[in-house]
Amino acid sequence: MKTIDLLRMSFSSLMKRKLRTVLTVLGVIIGIASIVIMVSLGLGLRQQQMDMIEEYGGLKTINVREGNGGQSYSSQDSSNLDKKLDDSTVDLIGSLDYVEMASPILEFSAIAKTGGYTLNIYNGYGYKLDALNSMDWQFAEGEMPKEGDPLKFIYGNLILENFTDARDNYIYYDTGVLPDVDLMKAPMFTIFDTDAYYASQGSSGEISFGDADGGEQAAPKTPPKKYLIETAGVLYGTGPDDYRNYSNNVYCDLDALIPHLKKVFKGKAIPGQPTKKNGSPYKTIYYSEIMVRVDKVDNVKEVQKTIQDMGYEANSNNEWIEETKKTSQQQQAMLGGIGAVALLVAAIGIANTMMMSIYERTKEIGIMKVLGCDMGDIRSLFLIEAALIGFIGGVVGDILSFAVSMIINAVTGSKTSLIPIWLYAVGLGFAVFVGVAAGFFPSKRAMELSPLSAIRNE
Amino acid sequence: MSEERPVIEVKNLYKIFKLGEQKVRALNGVSFTVNKGEFVAIVGTSGSGKSTLLNMLAGLEGPTKGSVRVAGENIEKYNERQLVKYRRDHVGFIFQAYNLMPTLNAIENVALPLTFRGVDKSLREKKAVKALKLVGLKKYMDHRPTEMSGGQQQRVGIARALVLEPEIIFADEPTGNLDSVTTEEILHLLQDLVRRKATTLVMVTHDNYLASFADRRIRIKDGKIIADERNGELQENV
Repeated sequence: MKTIDLLRMSFSSLMKRKLRTVLTVLGVIIGIASIVIMVSLGLGLRQQQMDMIEEYGGLKTINVREGNGGQSYSSQDSSNLDKKLDDSTVDLIGSLDYVEMASPILEFSAIAKTGGYTLNIYNGYGYKLDALNSMDWQFAEGEMPKEGDPLKFIYGNLILENFTDARDNYIYYDTGVLPDVDLMKAPMFTIFDTDAYYASQGSSGEISFGDADGGEQAAPKTPPKKYLIETAGVLYGTGPDDYRNYSNNVYCDLDALIPHLKKVFKGKAIPGQPTKKNGSPYKTIYYSEIMVRVDKVDNVKEVQKTIQDMGYEANSNNEWIEETKKTSQQQQAMLGGIGAVALLVAAIGIANTMMMSIYERTKEIGIMKVLGCDMGDIRSLFLIEAALIGFIGGVVGDILSFAVSMIINAVTGSKTSLIPIWLYAVGLGFAVFVGVAAGFFPSKRAMELSPLSAIRNE
Repeated sequence: MSEERPVIEVKNLYKIFKLGEQKVRALNGVSFTVNKGEFVAIVGTSGSGKSTLLNMLAGLEGPTKGSVRVAGENIEKYNERQLVKYRRDHVGFIFQAYNLMPTLNAIENVALPLTFRGVDKSLREKKAVKALKLVGLKKYMDHRPTEMSGGQQQRVGIARALVLEPEIIFADEPTGNLDSVTTEEILHLLQDLVRRKATTLVMVTHDNYLASFADRRIRIKDGKIIADERNGELQENV
């Protein structure tokens, strides 16, 4: 028989028993819709977790630190310069496969004073401008510094909470009151030579930070020079509880920071930089960290491994991502399992309908066999019929899933339910598969009916 | 007699059913041949084995022993798949209960065997219309079986058997469900068609009068042929 005739006959025999067909299809619709929606909830959950990871420093970012058997803090130790991070390391990592960007980061600390307040900048970071721009930050006020600008600071959204009241040494966590400082307008007098600052303060109750009592440095008691650093901008946050990975940090353009630091620490080693045996600094600037962006999440692991093999410390959110993927897979399996039960019931429904249909049509099948209808064609007729039930159920089930997903998302106000195109395709494919599987034995039975007994069936 | 091989050659055909301990010999050593273009009636009472014989000729049942050669094919050893193909290629079938598809109209019913052969829709409907005209049902082409009388339904059944232009047509009590007037009409139609188309027709009946329409009557009783009569005048015509 021709395929078109097989389709036509199968379709018309479904149409002959409209009510039963509709009911059977309804079972498939519910089954497919439950699976698709359950899986979509799992996917939505995963996406939300991924977004969260993205928020906390990116899915495709690897942080590289100097390799020193894990002792990355003993940076004063100059014995192992070749695993420190300089411009050649940046270029080397930048040339690796899958790496889109390798950008150096220089950490710094400083103290800023304005009005009656003091700000200890522990987490100051100098980034290249293109790296800063690639962060896609939102600014509450101000904007990114431009190329060639003098050194300007970008403050995190919660930086005000780090200000200490110079009179009573209270900070936000003590008082619950934010200092009355307009970061954009207030003059920020900034001290980079914190060691010298603490030395000049003596034992006035300041928190002793770093090795403030460092040998010869203790001698001059004159306070170090303050620099007026302009504010480029303040990053966006919704309120005092909106903690983001940049919230308590200060950022600036690395290309403006380095000349500035060189000027401040003229003839001395910049804090954190290695020194020669006699205490004099190297000409090269060694970075604290290199930020590496990889083209795809899937490649993060490989690039991370490569960099680690080169002898550097490399960290990423990869393990977190893997963990998240694993849990979300478990969730999806669980949710999908609930849907699968509904589909199993639908499959039994299809099988039942097909068996009924074969009992009713025993005579018809017999006549067809006497008239020379190929056994394979008879099987095909019933299989196509079952597949059609699955197909129609799958299509309508997908449409229903789409609608329900929209409703869920509208009600929850976020992307709780996420249905990618492939999920629709899988839903439809699964529906057809279930139809064919459920129709397999009934159709085999139809094929094997003896024509003689079938005709006698009056 | 023509020199070509007979359309049907049956040799030593046995069919033994087991009913519990008892063995029932439905066919007990039957041998005969049928030539091309013959209209043969197999006559016998109920339980004589005539229907079993027909089923075996049509490949609906396998024999216990013996050989059946129809249209050049030894079908006694065929499996079901081969038998289906044999019927599709060589055999038309007319049933007592017409056995039309209730949801198909006359044309679609007649075209059904052609559908199984994989013939295009337009061509098979053309052939179906031709066959329906041949049996005089021009006006009822779009009617469904339920909208037709028994005689009309059987005409559709005959058209369905003819449409394949088979070498051989089997008819199982084709007028068993019809009144006497219609019966005569149908039998005259069959007689006429067989002569015009030179098709071989094997008809099973219990009725001597109906059998008299045939060129030849094979009488069967208790699974054995007890007489084989030919119409002398018709034989001359062959």
